[in-house]
Amino acid sequence: MERLHNSVKSKSKSYRMSHRSSFGAAASRLGLTPALAGRRLNTSRRAPKSHNITEKVSPEQLALLTKTEWQLSYVTPLYRFGHTQLKSYAGQLSAFIAAGKQHGLAVEVFDPQTAFRVSFSLVQGMTESDDDAETVLIQIHSKPLFAGQDEPQRTVWSGLLTCVNGNPEYLRSLPEYFICLPLFGSSGAEGLTTLVKSWFQQSFDCCFGPLEISHTSLQWLMALWTDCHTESSIQCLKMIWTLPAVPPLKVTYTVNPEDAWELWSSVRKKRGGEEEDCIDIEEVTSFMRGLMSHFYRHFKLDLSAGSLNQVSTALGSAKSSGRIKISNRRYMVTTLALLTECALLKMPI
Amino acid sequence: MAATLILSGPSDLDQSSQSDQSASSRSNNRSLRVAEKERKKNEAEDPFVLALKYFSDVEAGTPVHGNDDVERNLVLVEKVAYSKGLTPEAVSIMLEFAMSLRMGTTLCARVLKCLIPATVVPQEAVVRAVVWLGVGKIPVGTQILFIKWVLTVFDMIDAKDQLRAVYGFIFNFVTEENLCPYICHLLYLLTRKESVRVFRVRKLLELQSKLGRQPFLLSLLSLYKVFCPELVTLSIPSRVKSGFRNHNMPWKSALIAVQKRNGAQVASSISLASTMKTNPRKRKHCHLVLPVLSSVVSKRAQTEPSSSRKLVPLVQVHSFAQLLENMHRIELPAQMGSLLGSSLALQYLDCVQDESALLRFNFWLGYALHEEFLFRGDGGASQNSEEALQFLNTLLSTQHFLQEGFSCSEAFLFKFLNVWDGSLLRPQILGLLSSIPVVPSSQIGRLLFEPLMQLFFTSSLFFKCGLMDCLNNMLLKWLTWHSVYALEDDLDISLNSHTSINMTLSGFKDSVMELVDFVGRLASLGLRLEGCHSLLLSFILDFYETVCDTFLKYGLPLVVMPPPGVFYPALLATDPVSVDRLAYIMYRYKVNLTSAKSQERLTEQAFHISRQTFREFNHYTVVMVNCLWNSKMFQPDMGIQLGEELLLKSNVPQYGKSFDLIHHPAFMSYAVDFHQRCLPGRQDMDLNSLKHSKLWSWYQEYLFSQGYDGLKQFVQSNICRQLTASDSLPT
Repeated sequence: MERLHNSVKSKSKSYRMSHRSSFGAAASRLGLTPALAGRRLNTSRRAPKSHNITEKVSPEQLALLTKTEWQLSYVTPLYRFGHTQLKSYAGQLSAFIAAGKQHGLAVEVFDPQTAFRVSFSLVQGMTESDDDAETVLIQIHSKPLFAGQDEPQRTVWSGLLTCVNGNPEYLRSLPEYFICLPLFGSSGAEGLTTLVKSWFQQSFDCCFGPLEISHTSLQWLMALWTDCHTESSIQCLKMIWTLPAVPPLKVTYTVNPEDAWELWSSVRKKRGGEEEDCIDIEEVTSFMRGLMSHFYRHFKLDLSAGSLNQVSTALGSAKSSGRIKISNRRYMVTTLALLTECALLKMPI
Repeated sequence: MAATLILSGPSDLDQSSQSDQSASSRSNNRSLRVAEKERKKNEAEDPFVLALKYFSDVEAGTPVHGNDDVERNLVLVEKVAYSKGLTPEAVSIMLEFAMSLRMGTTLCARVLKCLIPATVVPQEAVVRAVVWLGVGKIPVGTQILFIKWVLTVFDMIDAKDQLRAVYGFIFNFVTEENLCPYICHLLYLLTRKESVRVFRVRKLLELQSKLGRQPFLLSLLSLYKVFCPELVTLSIPSRVKSGFRNHNMPWKSALIAVQKRNGAQVASSISLASTMKTNPRKRKHCHLVLPVLSSVVSKRAQTEPSSSRKLVPLVQVHSFAQLLENMHRIELPAQMGSLLGSSLALQYLDCVQDESALLRFNFWLGYALHEEFLFRGDGGASQNSEEALQFLNTLLSTQHFLQEGFSCSEAFLFKFLNVWDGSLLRPQILGLLSSIPVVPSSQIGRLLFEPLMQLFFTSSLFFKCGLMDCLNNMLLKWLTWHSVYALEDDLDISLNSHTSINMTLSGFKDSVMELVDFVGRLASLGLRLEGCHSLLLSFILDFYETVCDTFLKYGLPLVVMPPPGVFYPALLATDPVSVDRLAYIMYRYKVNLTSAKSQERLTEQAFHISRQTFREFNHYTVVMVNCLWNSKMFQPDMGIQLGEELLLKSNVPQYGKSFDLIHHPAFMSYAVDFHQRCLPGRQDMDLNSLKHSKLWSWYQEYLFSQGYDGLKQFVQSNICRQLTASDSLPT
């Protein structure tokens, strides 16, 4: 009996082993197989409560986060990234950039004074759930090549790696040593972005891909921002559309904030109690339909035939190419949560 | 001069095969003379060598127009250049030929454009060409082309000292307005501290006052200022638009292609990396580039300071023996994606089954596949399909090597099948598809069958055959996987490991059943759509050859019969091979079923094959025997039924006989042939006479002798000696 039991065990172990490797480790931990899970964008989310983020995050960092327009990318989980190692990462990255910049040039003496200084810092207080990894802010400072001795270094590039309210199932499925910071925003020279990305790729075996903001996400942003109007004015709701005419027709559609708010209130469903601050995708689409039919009444142009490229309000602006600016710090978390969701949707497994 | 010397010297033109040949023969210490002779002979015969000789020897002033020799030789050189790249010597010869204007200015530009170095560019050649730049009457456009070429191949020039020595000479060209930007770039690359002189700074400043604040002048000046701040007092804007444009356009793609083809031989591939790195915009789609195999940066040491084991980076392991030796202390590379190119590394990965290593690899591979085929809106996949093709082929051979698919390629395929047109990279995609692991039966319809069904019914016959083949391979892999890992006597293996997969034997059976049923549906409809095309039928029969043997060959207690939509087209096929294969398949079904039955009797708890399966099998066997042997086609209880009056209307006499082995359209010709051989005297052909017992058995023997083993096995297992059909298999 004992022997039989053993043999069964060893056999089934190899059965399992093969299965694990054939399905891949990740797959086995991410439900059945990754694709089987069929992830979609949430169809319902909480209305942007003005988070007390101002109390949790330092004002300098918040100022930096709000004043920049980020070019977004998604990043696969970082292998063996340690939040305690930030200082040494800073050193490694600046050496990497120096090496990259020198490449192919005859500059053989490289003055550390004019070189790039990199800083990694933790943005504490951005996380929404316990599964979220802490946000990391990367800045590259440099002194202009021919600046005087006493001129201070300036920030020439900044980058943000974040995860706000990431899908807990996904995050928990990752094995030890994998840190998931799926949303990467960069602002600064493209050459530096490329260098930073390739350093991350080589150091943490991750991959960067462009993150566009989809049509649906843009509509969500519009709705979420409009919903805040009573708390903080959106000034105006502006959309830029492209219609497939020859030559392409660009439509800038600006809506008075009160009108936008009125329309938004009219499509809001009646809810009771706790669910009051929930927003459904149906509300978002009917808001959008309302805006489009209004435009059609006046200009006889059906916007649904075109594509929405850009939306902006006083709270922020977003472009379909993946550029986003969050101008109001109070709604930062909601916006980043939406973008984190988009980034996680792009994950290959 | 150096070039010609090299050509005639003993260090032969390194047509690598030749040099290998001569080198080896030398080391073998065989007759040197023979080797030399052979080499000379080879050399003399190689048209490329002859072409080079032509260009090194051709006299100045030889006319170009109407000169077929030069055209032929130049085409030859161009062909070699674009396919393999030119050897250093060839570059020297061609550059010397072009710049000396021995055959005028027209050829000069053409030659420059095809100067694709295979490995390195000899410095001497460049220096000589620069000298020609001062001497000859080369048109300005061509001069610019030459400098652009130098800039492009700059990193491939084997040394720079002599070029730096003629710094002053090169500097003189800055005064030529058209050349100035390019010369500045070249100088920028060559400048050392000692090159910065007052008179040069003055010259540049003078030019600046004349030309305005040009970025190329500013860049060079800023470099001068870095070296000698005391000489350059000019205040340079802090953000000089970084440097120079890339001038590698005419050569870039050819260079990349050549270097890729030459692969690892090119040590100085840095040059490409640098040209590519400087314009990331142009190289948008680089996700298919395998990362370089490199070891982890020292950071690991900090995280695990106590690790006393000395780790051996995979990059340092060059042979299988080394791998075995260091098996216990291999350090995985920084980027797991680099493993795809290295079979040694894959062997290691396969052996250690490191979970996080596999996950890293899967993340990278999944990313590459998604970016290349799913996320790109510009339909770019067709643009660099060559690259995509190579990538997928590498992936396929890797999966083949590891004998299993990667989870991310599976996840990718499930998405990709929904957008695939069925023709892009078909063999590769079907290859990947055939190696996906078992899909749970609850999901298999949505993930696999729905998209495949759409593709199947909207694609050509060729695709249908390809898909059938792919599904057959998929089934084969699943069955093989099962037969390797499952225990025959453990019928319900629950895999309660740390994984959340709970694949039980019955779950596996369900999946296989789903797959077989699905193929049955596809096959029935496909045969109808394509008019029972025999090529498609052949692929379908391949599939059923796998299905009929699941129990005996792979130990899976499952027997599924083909649907009537497959059985009857095969039985009534016009080619004898299909009928024969059907007979073989039915024979294997019988062997499997009887063996399953006897095993069931032996071991009480054995599996249960449904009575329905036996019934189906018996029915098919009866139909086959009745149709082929008993001449009782169109019996009321058969699968095909035709109305009595309709059959009479057809005016076919004795329609019951029309599909027996004599009258069956697939075998009629054999019957006629047999009739002629056996009864040569008979004037009138009476095929019915073959039905008489003696002739009938001879005729069968004759058919078997033609190689119809399937029929033979079917007959031997199903029909009794007395030549009357045994009715069926007892259940």
